[in-house]
Amino acid sequence: MIVVKQLTKTFKLSRQQKRERGEDLSGSTIDAVREVSFTCTPGRIFTILGPNGAGKTTALRMIATMLKPTSGTITVMGYDVARQPQEIRRRMGFLTGSTGLYGRLTPNELVKYFADLYGMEKNEYQRRREELFALLDMNDFANRRIGKLSSGMRQKVSIVRTMIHDPEVVVFDEPTVGLDVVTSRNIIQLIRSCKDAGKTIVFSTHRMGEVSLLSDDLAIIHKGQLCFNDTYEEFLGRMQTKSVEDEFIRLVEEA
Amino acid sequence: MHTVITIFKKELIDTLRDRRTLLMMVVIPILLFPVLMAVVFKVQISQIRKAEEKKLRVGVLTYGNAQAFRDSLLSREDLQIREDIRAESTQELIQQDSLDAAILFSEDFDRQVAELEEGKIVLYFKSTKDQNITRSRLRPLINDFEKRLLSERFEKLSLDRKIVSAVRVEEHDVASIKEKVGQVVGGFLPYIFVIFCFLGGMYPAIDLGAGEKERGTLETLLTTPASRFQILVGKFSVIVLAGLVSAAVSMTGLFVAVMQFRSLPIPPELLDVVKNILAPGTLALIFSLLFPLSIFFAACMLSLSIFARSFKEAQSLITPLNIVIIVPVFIALLPGIELNAKTALIPILNVSLAAKEIISGTIAPGLLAEVYVSLVVLAGASLYGCARWFEREKTMFRES
Repeated sequence: MIVVKQLTKTFKLSRQQKRERGEDLSGSTIDAVREVSFTCTPGRIFTILGPNGAGKTTALRMIATMLKPTSGTITVMGYDVARQPQEIRRRMGFLTGSTGLYGRLTPNELVKYFADLYGMEKNEYQRRREELFALLDMNDFANRRIGKLSSGMRQKVSIVRTMIHDPEVVVFDEPTVGLDVVTSRNIIQLIRSCKDAGKTIVFSTHRMGEVSLLSDDLAIIHKGQLCFNDTYEEFLGRMQTKSVEDEFIRLVEEA
Repeated sequence: MHTVITIFKKELIDTLRDRRTLLMMVVIPILLFPVLMAVVFKVQISQIRKAEEKKLRVGVLTYGNAQAFRDSLLSREDLQIREDIRAESTQELIQQDSLDAAILFSEDFDRQVAELEEGKIVLYFKSTKDQNITRSRLRPLINDFEKRLLSERFEKLSLDRKIVSAVRVEEHDVASIKEKVGQVVGGFLPYIFVIFCFLGGMYPAIDLGAGEKERGTLETLLTTPASRFQILVGKFSVIVLAGLVSAAVSMTGLFVAVMQFRSLPIPPELLDVVKNILAPGTLALIFSLLFPLSIFFAACMLSLSIFARSFKEAQSLITPLNIVIIVPVFIALLPGIELNAKTALIPILNVSLAAKEIISGTIAPGLLAEVYVSLVVLAGASLYGCARWFEREKTMFRES
């Protein structure tokens, strides 16, 4: 369970950023996320949809305790991001499309590294590792350097890296960016299996296809603010245009 | 602690598998001195030998004077004497390399000598050629000739040769060879290991900071329960280790280089001194100075590296530091700069000066303690600064 209340993140603008933005911004700060509230429940996929620069990544980084909120609160599995970040990180998996891997390590070494960072017991680690490596058919390349693997193989390593400690909450920040159809499918399957396992899932994207494929709940974010937050069914029911894509554009333009 | 060790181990494996780092950390420092010394010595020695064995072409104009000297020159096999030259053109002939040297007597040389005056001999040579060996080969011949003339003169006047020397000076240098070498080598050695201490840590620092950002792995690392401080210490230790290993390897390289040239006419005392410098006690003392210094280097480099958005940016931020570091090391090489209460507080310079004194065996315990204290304070402050820097969102998530 993730509960986000009145979340705001303000960034100070650098001199160069101010110059680039012209005169429409007289202040020296910008709200990347402004007074955003939503709740993600276990066993449901919560999708955050928004154009580039809308504030998706900033919001997710605050949930993942990488950035501190300027105001507002976030609790993850009952833990507060400001006071108990370690507890949250122990229970969370985080995967982004731009996630890289250590090319000079092997999948085995990399997965062990993260398992150690998550403080996993040896037996538990071995059980999970065998399960996941078999599931994703990774045993053939488990001892090859990651730098020499294909992008599909690397994606599998990323997935195991995210899931090795069996997290209760999984955050996917545009996980399919830059991936081909086949490797994207691995991710879609992963998100579905997380849902089946009753995990809390937050998933951000700007691809409409993925929205309709996965969403249980939907939030649309634009310029740091939510312009829709309800179930996906409700979204479909309230549609004033013919397609999901048109409806998204309509909502964003209205906001 | 367990987390720090996990991070340290992983970063170490990662670093050791990076060819660029290995090249900078191990290969260059170990090969630099043996190769450099081999090339310089071998070329120099072969040049000197060539110049020594060469048959010198010497122009000689005696105008009928000094017959005995002329005959002795003509009888020598290592000289090719030419007498068909003109006084005005000698200089030009040497410049054009038609001659190596020329010996010109004054026209009334014999008369001057006979009248107990100074007979004039002009020796032309080119000092920039053949390391000035031409001059050192010809000068003794002339000196011998002069000695012969002098003895004839003393005999003629029935005088004892001793009357021409009124003073006999005996010099006693109380500086031990260790001290003398310490002054020369002691200035140069810190230069080597301070630089390598920096260079060895440079690539790991860039790779573990900016490299992590560039590959997109930093975010995933920050979502693990490892705190930023633990991540910092893990990475930090690898950079410090790399710097120290690199400095140690460069010393090994130097040792190999010295051993390689044992056959050369290096005085055995000098070799002993070099071995002394490389003795475990001296080295341990020097490395105990390098340890806090490498922490300071690591803090500077990692701070810049984690601030940079890419490997390239980190490189262009860190490379200029090279020059900043060379300046104090170079100042330590200047004459008159010594370790005192003030210089003991200046980072890098204090390590160079203290190392110099350790090698000479003249280090004052009080000053050494002051150097340690100032280095430890510096290392602590830089580590603290770096940790604060790691906590900053703007540093970690700096975007264009």
